Amino acid sequence: MAAADSPSAALLRRDLCSRGIRLAGKMRSDVVELLDTYVERQGLDASASVAAVEGVPAAAAERWDEQTGTQRLLENLAAYRAFRALLAQMLEEQREQLGEADAALGRALAAVLLQVSAFAYHLEELLRLESCGPPSEEGAGPPPSPHLSLFERKLRGLGVLRELAQWAVRSARDLRQLTKPGPGSSLAPSPAESP
Amino acid sequence: DSHIQYERVGADVTMKCGSMDWDAAVTWTANGTDIDESHLNGSYLILKNVDLTQSGQYSCYEGSSWHLKYQTYLRVGTPPKEPVLMCRSNNYPKGFYCSWHLPTPTYIPNSFNISVIHGTREMVCEKDVFPKNRCHIRYLQLFSTVKYKVTLTVTNALGKDSTTLTFDEFAIVKPDPPESVIAKPVPNNPRRLEVSWQNPSSWPDPESFPLKFFLRYRPLILDQWQHVELSDGTSHTITDAYAGKEYIIQVAAKDNDIGTWSDWSVAVHATPWTEEPKHLTTEAQVTETTSASTSSFMPPPTTKICDKGAVVGSGAVAVCWTAGLVLAAYGVLFI
Repeated sequence: MAAADSPSAALLRRDLCSRGIRLAGKMRSDVVELLDTYVERQGLDASASVAAVEGVPAAAAERWDEQTGTQRLLENLAAYRAFRALLAQMLEEQREQLGEADAALGRALAAVLLQVSAFAYHLEELLRLESCGPPSEEGAGPPPSPHLSLFERKLRGLGVLRELAQWAVRSARDLRQLTKPGPGSSLAPSPAESP
Repeated sequence: DSHIQYERVGADVTMKCGSMDWDAAVTWTANGTDIDESHLNGSYLILKNVDLTQSGQYSCYEGSSWHLKYQTYLRVGTPPKEPVLMCRSNNYPKGFYCSWHLPTPTYIPNSFNISVIHGTREMVCEKDVFPKNRCHIRYLQLFSTVKYKVTLTVTNALGKDSTTLTFDEFAIVKPDPPESVIAKPVPNNPRRLEVSWQNPSSWPDPESFPLKFFLRYRPLILDQWQHVELSDGTSHTITDAYAGKEYIIQVAAKDNDIGTWSDWSVAVHATPWTEEPKHLTTEAQVTETTSASTSSFMPPPTTKICDKGAVVGSGAVAVCWTAGLVLAAYGVLFI
């Protein structure tokens, strides 16, 4: 593995960031489409307010511009690992609830789950370029959900997807910050180049 | 004592002359002009169904001594109607601003109070010096799904009203239009125009929050716009312009991921490059045809166009020679 500050590591990092930005963009547009499908199929009101749900990582960040590159990667990775588990749980519940009746929703959920997994892998690769490497996945499953009614589970799912859509926007911004030279990146400043 | 009195349009107003008794002899003036006694009930001044023109200074003088007993400034107006409020972020991710106005004037002073709540947190909207009906907020959090709730209350001496806006962080992002739009012809390319522009100066960090652009262009003689969306870069070459036609061009901007398109930029005009005619005569003009795509109008050649140095189209040359032969023939005949 190249040293964190070597030119080849910088190129690899830039390449991973660029691909990650594109992946985040695609993921966001797919999640937004999935949200429309989910709201329709689950019979929900698109403007319904959903309180913060336990176990769903909030994309909201204070002092976002002051975060270091490593902080950005670690927060993103923790979030997407959590979403991976949450989406898997939603997919399971959706299959139990509807069987094969709503295959379209199931396929859309599965496609987004795949993108979330791919993005998490991307983040792990970026962290491997750092000296610390990605943290292990201890207790990475979703928290045991309290017994929720069907309606409460649907609302919870809405909250998960909405927060994931926010994360997809944030992640693209985080990765762009990583490509900028300066304290916002975890590697030493690289030659100035546009993201 | 002098003070200000606010009354609604259409109200009936009764003014007392200070502590004077009802039956005291007094004279009332409005802006220095005596008021007719028909408006008096004893020493009280009665104004029925007041209108805006009746705003002014009203003074009451004791009958014989002309001592000033009472003075008031009457301001006739209306209570405020529901204000119009809008909030927008043209400098994302730094913050956003809200601005407001009243749909109809009240004709009396109004005060505005704005509150901004994000979840459970109350935020301070700092009033701008100019324009004065505007305030701005710095984002304390980014990427939040919690909505912002902005309530504006307008109050004057005659009443109050309010309005509330609720929105997402992403929904109000709208950059200012691109700046310094320039369009130039491309030498030796009759169908091209090179357009360039700059990011709006109010957008604080285009590197981390890149903008995408929408360019529209049309020849002045047509109504239909052509559109091009550009995901990066601040220049574009139009390659399908109609030769010789003046174009109007505008550009708009949007954050790559969120929010809405800016307004269109200031329009610029440009005409694609055309080849200069090589020679012009004093008696008539000849335009050359350099290619089939030019749309310049060709005047019919005349027998007078015989300038030796002129490079003309083949039809005009034939006529020139023919004219020369005819003249030569006549010359021969008359020698």
